[in-house]
Amino acid sequence: MSTLVLVRSGCYQDSARLMQVSRELAAVAGVSEAVAMMGTETNRRLLAESGFPAAELAKATPLDMVVALRAESPAALDSVQVALDRLLAGRGEGASSGPAAAAKGPGTVTEALEAHPEANLVSVAVPGPYAAFVAQRALDAGRSVFLFSDNVSSADEVALKRRAAGLGLLVMGPDCGTAILSGVGLGFANRVERGPVGIVGASGTGIQELSCLLDRRGIGVSHAIGTGSRDLSEAVDGAMTEAGLALLARDPETTCVLLVAKHPAASVARRLHGVLARLGKPVAVRYLGEIARGDVEGVFYAGSLDEAAEKAAAWAGAQALPAATTTAGTGRRAEGDPEQGESRLVGLFGGGSLAAEARCVLAAHGVETVVPDVMLTAHSPLPPGNLVVDTGDDAYTVGRPHPMVDQTVRCSLIRAAGADLSVRVLLLDLVLGDGAHPDPAPEIVQNVVAARAARAGRPLSVVVSVCGSRRDPQGTRRQEEVLRQGGLHVASSAALAAGEAAALLPLVREEVAR
Amino acid sequence: MNSRTPYAFTGNANASTLLDGRLEVVHAGIDAVAEAARATGAAVTLVDFEPPSGGEPRRMALLGELLSGAHVHEIDAANARALARLLASRPHLVGVGVARDVIPGMADDLFLHAGPPVSWERMCGPMRGAVIGGLLHEGRAKSVEEATRLAAAGAVRFDPCHHHDAVGPMAGLVTPSMPVFVVEDRGGERPGTRTFCTLNEGLGKVLRYGAFSEEVLSRLDYMRDELAPVLAAALALRGPIDLKHLMAQALQMGDEGHNRNRAGTSLFFRELAPAIVRATEDREKAARVLEFVNGNDHFFLNLSMPMGKCMLKAAEGEPLSSLVTVMARNGTDFGIQVSSMPGRWFTGPAQMVRGLYFPGRTAADANPDIGDSAITETAGFGGFAMGAAPAIVQFVGGSAEDALAATRAMRRITVGANNGFAIPALGFAGTPTGIDLRLVEERNLLPQINTGIAHREPGVGQVGAGLVNPPWEAFHAALEAFAEHVRAAAPPPGA
Repeated sequence: MSTLVLVRSGCYQDSARLMQVSRELAAVAGVSEAVAMMGTETNRRLLAESGFPAAELAKATPLDMVVALRAESPAALDSVQVALDRLLAGRGEGASSGPAAAAKGPGTVTEALEAHPEANLVSVAVPGPYAAFVAQRALDAGRSVFLFSDNVSSADEVALKRRAAGLGLLVMGPDCGTAILSGVGLGFANRVERGPVGIVGASGTGIQELSCLLDRRGIGVSHAIGTGSRDLSEAVDGAMTEAGLALLARDPETTCVLLVAKHPAASVARRLHGVLARLGKPVAVRYLGEIARGDVEGVFYAGSLDEAAEKAAAWAGAQALPAATTTAGTGRRAEGDPEQGESRLVGLFGGGSLAAEARCVLAAHGVETVVPDVMLTAHSPLPPGNLVVDTGDDAYTVGRPHPMVDQTVRCSLIRAAGADLSVRVLLLDLVLGDGAHPDPAPEIVQNVVAARAARAGRPLSVVVSVCGSRRDPQGTRRQEEVLRQGGLHVASSAALAAGEAAALLPLVREEVAR
Repeated sequence: MNSRTPYAFTGNANASTLLDGRLEVVHAGIDAVAEAARATGAAVTLVDFEPPSGGEPRRMALLGELLSGAHVHEIDAANARALARLLASRPHLVGVGVARDVIPGMADDLFLHAGPPVSWERMCGPMRGAVIGGLLHEGRAKSVEEATRLAAAGAVRFDPCHHHDAVGPMAGLVTPSMPVFVVEDRGGERPGTRTFCTLNEGLGKVLRYGAFSEEVLSRLDYMRDELAPVLAAALALRGPIDLKHLMAQALQMGDEGHNRNRAGTSLFFRELAPAIVRATEDREKAARVLEFVNGNDHFFLNLSMPMGKCMLKAAEGEPLSSLVTVMARNGTDFGIQVSSMPGRWFTGPAQMVRGLYFPGRTAADANPDIGDSAITETAGFGGFAMGAAPAIVQFVGGSAEDALAATRAMRRITVGANNGFAIPALGFAGTPTGIDLRLVEERNLLPQINTGIAHREPGVGQVGAGLVNPPWEAFHAALEAFAEHVRAAAPPPGA
């Protein structure tokens, strides 16, 4: 086995591009491993720890692209170099040394805003270490920020939000996956109609689920303001949640408000309660993982995203849904298999908030779940218990796109779970909308079919929730149809899917017992 | 009591525009994240993001503080004042004198050289060659061997030209008996400021490229004994020449004032020719001087340089300014200075020039970057005025569009433009002027310098010409020192 470290200096590439380079080089014959990274200190350490020569790595700066390779023969390494040159040339680099060839878009946010003074929002999806710097330049120029990047320190987040609040600007993020402002989606967003419901959310998929549940009821969204996942932490103290609520309170289009967040700090929840109670508009809150508390001083604390959405839909004048579709559907009896002792559930999620919602609903149905403390892989046996895993978690996305975009990892886990005969119910989510995978259902079905085929006739029930709007580019109805035809149970929300899965589990157990 | 509100959301109109129905987005980073905005009808401008300040976290934090911290307005105002003074200066050629008589601090045992300070031991080949030639020229040594021995033994002291308000191309050697142009500020806020530069020897084997053959030495003798006295007399007769006026015209005639000086030289010739004839009784002598000037396309370089130095002297010493006021190289190190910290050098290794070579010469012959001539870029012309000089676009990629792009690119790192130096092909936009250290770091873009290439061995001469950038080390060091300087000079309120 030979190793090689290539350093291409002054060749900055974004992470999406680096993943593409890694993938294409790994596909070269004879190459067993190819990693393309920028030469930051962290990355260099990582590669050195993986056994690549530190002396070679030391030459790289954060602006240099490092390609670390392992191959069966030195000859394979030569062909990789050729492939790399071709890849980079394809981008137009190295074609000409003249600056005209290099003249591209504006090089900084500041310059882009000078050229487009009418722009009112700066969207930032650069690597974490640079994100706060870029966001600060947007604030310098007096613009609000949609900060998709993660790996931003809490101190930087506090500094950004403090400054933004003083300037009357929003910093939506860091780690903000979704927003919809004046009908324009940012990050991962579903195409929903404009309407009277305003949403503030510290959870991207939480916002997506709420907006899609409203859409299913024919109710539109005025604006959905993302705040970033840590906004309701003690350090950040709900800064942008409060700012977002203030904006919606004054917005004439918004007649009622929804707030969604994961695990707020107790002090923040207390303070925000005061803000919500004085908002002047009806407001429903879903704190994921918490149980329903109902109306508290005019603020409605819902027990699920569905309940919160239903409340807002009612305020917005929608007819109440027939009871059957708002409660967990009755589980179909799974085919029995007396041979098999254990029967358990595995949830594999792309949306972190949807996983949290599922855990909560399962617990309410008496199904205790565990969050495995190790990363699940297709090669090692699944840990015991009912598992609910967020495959969008950092551990699963190092050097890879989010599972909402690239389902490779999740699909390999679907097959791995299927191969484990103790797993009888599989719980999934499927998030549609802009930014997400263009056609995710067929790949999911394919892998479920493969998983089932490997079970020697032992059945596997699969329940999937679809988060999609009527106008989403993937075609929500078509995606649901593909899933159904593939033999999956389709539910219209993560909570409903979890309820359905919970109902299936005892039926399976009963049968096993018989 | 839990009534603390650490974030007072002022809730003014700024964020409300997002809810007013019109969203226009500037996006930096992974393109797919902007897909939703585009798909739902927002105009999206993509930023071609590169990490600022070399991506080094501590330096990015310093830079962030300098771009939007407590003192940003003071720094911006200081830069505006420094730039205004630079633009207001009116350098004139007022005379031709002898170095030992006119350059402040010049002494009989002192040789001035280009770039930041450097010892004989660390001097590159061409610089050593120039010192050897200077010792021979001054009559202090009779042979190359003796000159080498004397130089190594410390028979003469070395000092940067910049420490004496002088500038010199390539090796930039100034010896006590050499004639120098005297340039004086005749306007602006610091009238009377004087800068100095030797007279240009021409191309081929010349002292500034480290050559010291008989041909080189006899030319230096001629320049001292005939050229300089004639020019001095002619200038005295004609009166001071407004150099910015000549430069402005030259830029509209295809010069950029560093690698191309043909138009400037022609204009200078026209300005002075009648006075040379009138001031010189011997017609042959006058003709020889006119032929010398006319025969050297770079004669004006040694005027554009002290002009640039004079303009930058006006910008020096503004307490919180981050404007770069010196960029200079000695063939070993590249050094820069910053307005607010006058006299302090920030250095890094001199870089290799990306160049075009004379027939038979290759990159293997080349010495690293050398000379004070980067003063032209520092003052806002030279490589920064590339768009004015279509005749030499082969240096920047071959097309006139490349040249225009080079000039536009430099506007990204400068505080302003010199409207006195207008470039026709850019709609008469002024040349980018006033390099802001902060912008270089933020935009990850180094100044573009046009330059000649010296042979790496002493005694050979020029082998080509091309483009070079300063080393990042110099700018990184300057940024860190400037951050420290700002903290010390203007402590935050309450500190």
